[in-house]
Amino acid sequence: MALPNKVLPGFSAAMYAQPGTTPTPLTTAQLSLVASTAAIAVSGNLMPVEAIPAFGQDDAVASFPVAGSRQSDKIPTQSAPTSMTITAAWNPSDATLLLIRGDAYSGTVDRTFVISATDGSNIIYYAFNGRVSQFQIDAQPGAEAKCTFTFHPRGNQYGWSNNA
Amino acid sequence: MTTQLNPVLYGKAIQYQLANIVTPVPVYASFNRNFATQPKFLTWQLRNVHQPVYTGQNQNNKGIDRPVFQISIFTTSIEDGFTISNQVLQSLHGYSGQFGSPTEGFWISKADVFWLYNSYDDTTKMAQIFLDCTIDIPA
Repeated sequence: MALPNKVLPGFSAAMYAQPGTTPTPLTTAQLSLVASTAAIAVSGNLMPVEAIPAFGQDDAVASFPVAGSRQSDKIPTQSAPTSMTITAAWNPSDATLLLIRGDAYSGTVDRTFVISATDGSNIIYYAFNGRVSQFQIDAQPGAEAKCTFTFHPRGNQYGWSNNA
Repeated sequence: MTTQLNPVLYGKAIQYQLANIVTPVPVYASFNRNFATQPKFLTWQLRNVHQPVYTGQNQNNKGIDRPVFQISIFTTSIEDGFTISNQVLQSLHGYSGQFGSPTEGFWISKADVFWLYNSYDDTTKMAQIFLDCTIDIPA
């Protein structure tokens, strides 16, 4: 098991969605298991994403101002995985985008999403379970129509893995 | 996911479309070797063929193409050139629909014509008018 050992261009990242209209998302343990995440990161599940937005963890902190004390205290807490707003070129027939549109319509579908980044040989995966919200089409002239939507990951349901 | 469109098809469609707009004035790609004997003609040059590429290893993760072709109008009479440029504007600017022939063409969402400038070339003794046309092609 080896991580890519190079500085990666932004283009090296790709995003995949678990298939099926009623998916069974990975368990928390499986989200950190390469055998599980790599099975989702296949070409048939690829999302036509323009660029992968910032992914990882949010900042979260508990502040304790103490009356009479010289300094207050800021204690990091278990921070949530970051919500991601995605922009994709809109093809109304794209099967993956139709899945996402269905998820947004439902609002209660939990699905596993996987981001992969590779140096050409080794791959690192970031996987999370999330729901889709704010599915919008931006048909502003001057470029292709854009499809934008936001993933809100479920708390504690993400993981990192890599292949060799 | 988006397919890469073929510039050969663009060239054929531009030639067909321009020839239809300004008929019977002849239309040429890039250069007219008979410029000395023809009082009116058009040439066109295609540029900026580019579909933006998006992230990941899939080659088809692209946006749409918005190529530009320049239309150069050559006339011995300056007024003829302005008249032909108006024909092009009236026909192409804002146009949406089939572009090129039914067999060697494609559908465009919009054509946007920019009338650039007029000029005169003393060596060929011809007035010139230059226009840029951007076309939005679903892919």
